[in-house]
Amino acid sequence: MDASVKTTAKVSDARAEALVASYERAGYARVSPAILQPAEPFLDLSGEDIRNRMYLTSAPGGGEFCLRPDLTIPVSRDYLASPASGQPAGFCYLGPVFRHRSDQPAEFLQAGIESFGRADKAAADAEMLTLGHEATTSYGLASPDIKTGDVALFAALVAGLDLPPAWKRRLIKDFNRKTNLAQDLDRLVLGGNNARPEYQGVLAALAGANPKGAHALVTDLLSIAGINAVGGRSVAEIAERFLEQSALGASAKLPQEVRAVIERFLAIQGDPDEAAGELRALAAEANMTAVLDPALDLFESRNGFLAAQGIDLKRVRFSTGFGRGFDYYTGFVFELTDPSRTGDPLVAGGRYDGLLARLGSSEQTPAVGFAVWIERLAAYGDAS
Amino acid sequence: MSAPLVLAVPAKGRLQENAEAFFARSGLNLVKPRGARDYRGAVAGLDGVEVAYLSAGEITTQLAAGTVHLGVTGEDLVREQMPDADKRVVLIEALGFGFATVVVAVPQAWIDVRTMADFDDVATSFRHHHGRKMRVATKYINLTRGFFAAQGIVDYRIVESSGATEGAPAAGSAELIVDITTTGTTLAANGLKIVDDGIILRSQANLVAARTANWDADQRETARVILDRIAAQARARAFREVRSRFATCDAALVETAKQKFGVTTPFGGPTSSGMLTLHCPPDQVYALTSFLRERGAEAVAVADLDYVFSKDNPLYAKLEAGL
Repeated sequence: MDASVKTTAKVSDARAEALVASYERAGYARVSPAILQPAEPFLDLSGEDIRNRMYLTSAPGGGEFCLRPDLTIPVSRDYLASPASGQPAGFCYLGPVFRHRSDQPAEFLQAGIESFGRADKAAADAEMLTLGHEATTSYGLASPDIKTGDVALFAALVAGLDLPPAWKRRLIKDFNRKTNLAQDLDRLVLGGNNARPEYQGVLAALAGANPKGAHALVTDLLSIAGINAVGGRSVAEIAERFLEQSALGASAKLPQEVRAVIERFLAIQGDPDEAAGELRALAAEANMTAVLDPALDLFESRNGFLAAQGIDLKRVRFSTGFGRGFDYYTGFVFELTDPSRTGDPLVAGGRYDGLLARLGSSEQTPAVGFAVWIERLAAYGDAS
Repeated sequence: MSAPLVLAVPAKGRLQENAEAFFARSGLNLVKPRGARDYRGAVAGLDGVEVAYLSAGEITTQLAAGTVHLGVTGEDLVREQMPDADKRVVLIEALGFGFATVVVAVPQAWIDVRTMADFDDVATSFRHHHGRKMRVATKYINLTRGFFAAQGIVDYRIVESSGATEGAPAAGSAELIVDITTTGTTLAANGLKIVDDGIILRSQANLVAARTANWDADQRETARVILDRIAAQARARAFREVRSRFATCDAALVETAKQKFGVTTPFGGPTSSGMLTLHCPPDQVYALTSFLRERGAEAVAVADLDYVFSKDNPLYAKLEAGL
């Protein structure tokens, strides 16, 4: 037996039950998804990296199953399979989740809410933070640290930058994974080019060529070599990216101004009202109001709803860089932590409008939610 | 008498032949007293050792669990099967056989992919275009996950493959593979190429010790003897013995030879009659003999060494430090 796995059954306490009862009264139907879940959606959405933290098992027929490592995906799947799919619906839950953690029990309790299909996104976002805040309050922590971010702002900024598509993809991806962004900015300035040195001449020639003709040429060359779609990528896809690289090679230097805009954007943090002002100013100066306005309008509208719900915006620490590392969030992200203890989140959530589509929904259904770490809150309550 | 030291050796194929030859060179002849089909053996002339013939994968598992003391297995298997390998085992010595490189290989048709950074980009756009992640066929699940994570690559799925992994892209069950290669021929035959910086691990067979096995005084003593012999043999293989006698041989000449040819003087400098014994790296032997003759040697004798025992026992020291 592996002694590093701590097995302690978790029984919810009265405070947790009361919390979920309050969520039910707020209009969220309580659900209890299956504990045993197909592993595929978790691996697909969270990446292979989660595999060594999951408790996996295989069915005799060969399918891979797991003990649910979170409840967002199970609640989303049940919603998609229900007749209410596509309609506005809200759910709350309280139950065990299972993740291998080296120094803490593998089984722990999470409560939370998932809200699907609401078109009034700013109001829904603000409501999630407010309901999450009620959780810490109910355990005696009335003033947690509130960290927020909005990954849609970065996405809008990048979309509006004058950059080749490959670099846009790169920036968005690096933003999502907490790594390399500074390094990528360096390479952008240097005009990085990954192509083979011996291809340089051809790439340079293709860079100036008519795109359609160049595409046809590369496609033909691949066919002459007897190479067809091997490994799932079509010849057209390969040709397209090959030519994209030639374009990258040609645009050797990124204007310093573009890098300056990204760096200035990522430096914006603090009070959300002030941040909104700074972002507006940045958008105006960089001539990007058209692309940034929709995201900024939502941001300001959300700030208004938060204030209306009684959240003191002076206490909220907004950062344009917060939310990095969570691949499936698409907009608002927030985290409540205990100022006097570890930085571990007590409540964390955000908007993930793309999740249901990635789980197989044919329509784009807005989704927002949060999870509460019951044991962490209970430890706080016991200690105080 | 206490429990024997268990030495795990691959049970079949080239790996077994190479491992047996390796031990035999060190004067440790593995024997099967109860017949060739027995999976338990002994070392001729050395009590207190039980030889367990197991598959390479099983050797790794048992080393991790501490149910064998020493074993011969590939570093690739150690790194794959034990995420915390350095806590569980000590890699005592690379054995010079069983070479295999664990690599990331993609279809040759991907003319736009040369580096892992290219692959990272392609993997992300693949997800956007196809609505699913790229599949990597491999039996090295942990090595792959660790390597990809270190590169920040997330848009992939692992498809477990236990054999003929190179065929997976052509068969359509994966887009790329992580597998071992020795010469790259099999990869090329399957239309695959190695990503330039996609070398995950250069592996070879290792003599590995289990840190969590039960090491009492007897087992340590047995291990000390085994490792002493292996070290003596390794030292012997690294040198040739060069002997000569001539009047002009002096300490200054020996010093020059040390500088120029990397020789050692196992028995000290020249005797009063000019008798000198040197240990010289094999590729320097001829140059050394020329040098000695230029300096006045009439004859120089060169001989292979069987063993060079020395006061210290570096392999055992390594094991002891890890226990």
